[in-house]
Amino acid sequence: MQNKFRGVMQSPVTPLKDDFSLDLPTFERLIDFHVRAGAPAISWPHHKGESLNLTIDERKLFAEAAVKVVAGRVPVTIHVSALAVEDTMALARHAQDIGADGILAITPYFWTPTLDAIEAYFIRLCRSIDLPVLSYNSPSYLNGVEITGDVMARLIDTLPNFVGVKEASFNSEKFLEISRAALALRPNFAMLTGVEFLLPSVPLGGVGSYSAAGSICPNLCNELFDTCVAGEWGRAKELQYKMTRLWHLFKDQYPSSLKGGMVIMGRPVGPTRAPLPTATPERQAYIRAQLEDLGILESEPHGW
Amino acid sequence: MPFSPGLVHTPLTPFAANGSIDFDLFAKAIDFHLRHGAEALAVQMHAGESVSLTDAEKRRLIAFAVEQAGKRAPIIAHVSDAGTGIAASLATHAQAAGASAIVATTPYYWTPPPAMVLEHFFQIGAAVDIPFFVLNAPDDMAGGKINADLALKLIARLPNFAGVVDASLDWQFMIELMTDAGRARPDFRLFGGTELLVSAAAVGATGLFSALAVVAPRLVRGLFDLCRDSKFFEARPQQEGIAALRQILKPGGVAALKAAARTMGRDCGNPRPPLLPLDPAAERKLAAQIAASPSLAAEPRGW
Repeated sequence: MQNKFRGVMQSPVTPLKDDFSLDLPTFERLIDFHVRAGAPAISWPHHKGESLNLTIDERKLFAEAAVKVVAGRVPVTIHVSALAVEDTMALARHAQDIGADGILAITPYFWTPTLDAIEAYFIRLCRSIDLPVLSYNSPSYLNGVEITGDVMARLIDTLPNFVGVKEASFNSEKFLEISRAALALRPNFAMLTGVEFLLPSVPLGGVGSYSAAGSICPNLCNELFDTCVAGEWGRAKELQYKMTRLWHLFKDQYPSSLKGGMVIMGRPVGPTRAPLPTATPERQAYIRAQLEDLGILESEPHGW
Repeated sequence: MPFSPGLVHTPLTPFAANGSIDFDLFAKAIDFHLRHGAEALAVQMHAGESVSLTDAEKRRLIAFAVEQAGKRAPIIAHVSDAGTGIAASLATHAQAAGASAIVATTPYYWTPPPAMVLEHFFQIGAAVDIPFFVLNAPDDMAGGKINADLALKLIARLPNFAGVVDASLDWQFMIELMTDAGRARPDFRLFGGTELLVSAAAVGATGLFSALAVVAPRLVRGLFDLCRDSKFFEARPQQEGIAALRQILKPGGVAALKAAARTMGRDCGNPRPPLLPLDPAAERKLAAQIAASPSLAAEPRGW
C-alpha cells in the first residue's frame, strides 16, 4: 500500500496582521489556495510557519482551522515540535482530537539528546496517539543531532504508526543510510526530503518533500516531482536547478523572504514575528527582480 | 584542454614490511586498476596515504605511475599540501613528469580566510597548464570546504580550472556549483568524490573518484555505467551494495581499506604510522562481512 504522504507537500506560512497577531481569514484563504493549486497534502506549522514563535494555544487554533478548511480534500499533518517535550505531547493529542491525518516531529531541540534519548522520545510520542507519525531529521540546524539508520530501523520495528521521515540533511550518505535501513523493513515508509531536493532523493527511494517555495511556485513544485518520478532526468535537472536558485533566494532570512515574495505574487500575508526580520521594500524589490529573471511571474499563479 | 575520463580509480600505496614503498606491487596495482574499469588514476589521494608520503616519494610515485600506465590511461596527480608553495611546486613537477591533470584540496591544518584559500588554489592552478580540479572533502579536512562562490572566482582567474571532485555529498552545494560554474564555464565538470554517486550524477556529475574500486571494481564500474547512462532508478541496487561496503569500511579508514584489499587477494601491506593496522580480530570480522556480502560475490580475487 502506497503511503499517503507523497509528492511536494505544502506547509503554509503563518499570516499575521500588522500588529503581529494571527490573521485567521488570510490563513484560511492560504490553505485553500494551496489545495486548489495542487498540493498533495498540507502540513502546518513548520519552521517556515514560525512554529516556535507561536504560543501553544495559537498553534492549536490554526491547526483546527487547517483541518476544517482542507475538509478531507488532502491529508493534513500537524507539526508538533516544541521546545518543551510536554508541549509536543499535548499538540500531538490535540492533532488527533481535531481529526488530523498525522503528525510530524523533529528530534528534540536544544539538549543535543543521545540516540537512546531520541529513540525513547519517539517511542513515547508514537505510543501516545494512534495517528501516523512522521519524524524529522535536521542535523545541520540541530547541532548534529540526527536519527541514524539503525535507530530508524528499531523505531520501525517497534512502532506500527512510525511511517516516515522528513530527512533534511540534504546529504547523499545520510539520506541513503536511512532509506536503506527503513525501506528494507517497511517498503512504504515515506522517505521525504526537507526542501524540494527531489532529483537527488527520488532515485534513492524518495517519494516527495515538504515545500520551501510552494507559496510562490506551486506549479514548479508539482512539475519537478512529476518529472523525477517519471525519470525524465534532463528536464528534471533543469527544474531542480531553477528550484535550487529559488531556495538560495529564500533561505536568506527564511521565512521573511518568502513572505516578501508572496507580496509580489499577489498573496500578501503580513510581517514576520521577531526575532526574525520582516522583508523590507528593498528586499522585496530584489526578490521581484530574481523572480522575473526566473520566469516565475509568468509560470505561477498570481493572487489567491 | 578538455579532460574526458569519467571513472577514476585512486590506488592504495603498497608498503613493504620495512615501511618503504613497494614499487613492484604498485606496478601490479596500476595494471589491475586499468584492467578493471579505470579510465584514469589519481595518484595518490588520501586513500593512498598521500599525507604520509614525503615530497620526494610523491614525485617518484607520480612519475612511476605515468610511466607504468603509459598510453593506457592518464594520470591525475594529487598535490595537496599545507603550504601553497610546496603544493604548487609539486604541481609543476607533476606536469613535467607527464601527468594529465592535477587535483588539490584546501590547505592542511591552517584555516586561512576565504581570500587566502582562493589564493592557495589560484597559485596551485597557475603553476600548470594542464587541467586543475579542486577536491571538496570537508570530512577529511576538519570541516574545511569550498563553496560555489569560490569556484566562480577561480573560473574567472584560472583558464585551466576544470572542475570539482566532491566528497561533501551536499546536494545544495553540488546543485549551486553546477548552476553557477556550468553557466560560467560550460565544460566545467563535477566528479563524485565517493561512490555515493547516484544523487551527484542526477544533479550533473559526470565522473567518479573511487577508492573502493580496489575492493569492488565490478560493482563500481556497474554503478558508474548506469549513472553515466542516466539510469538512476536502475542504479539503486548497485548504489546500495557499494554503500553497504562503505559503511563496513568507514570506521577503520585506510587501515580497513587495506585489510579489505588483502581479503580480496590484493595485499598492499599495512598503513604507515601514525595509522595502525586493524587488529587481527577486526580484520577477521571484516573478511567475514565481505565474504557474506552477495553484492561482492562476483568481484575478482587476486591481481
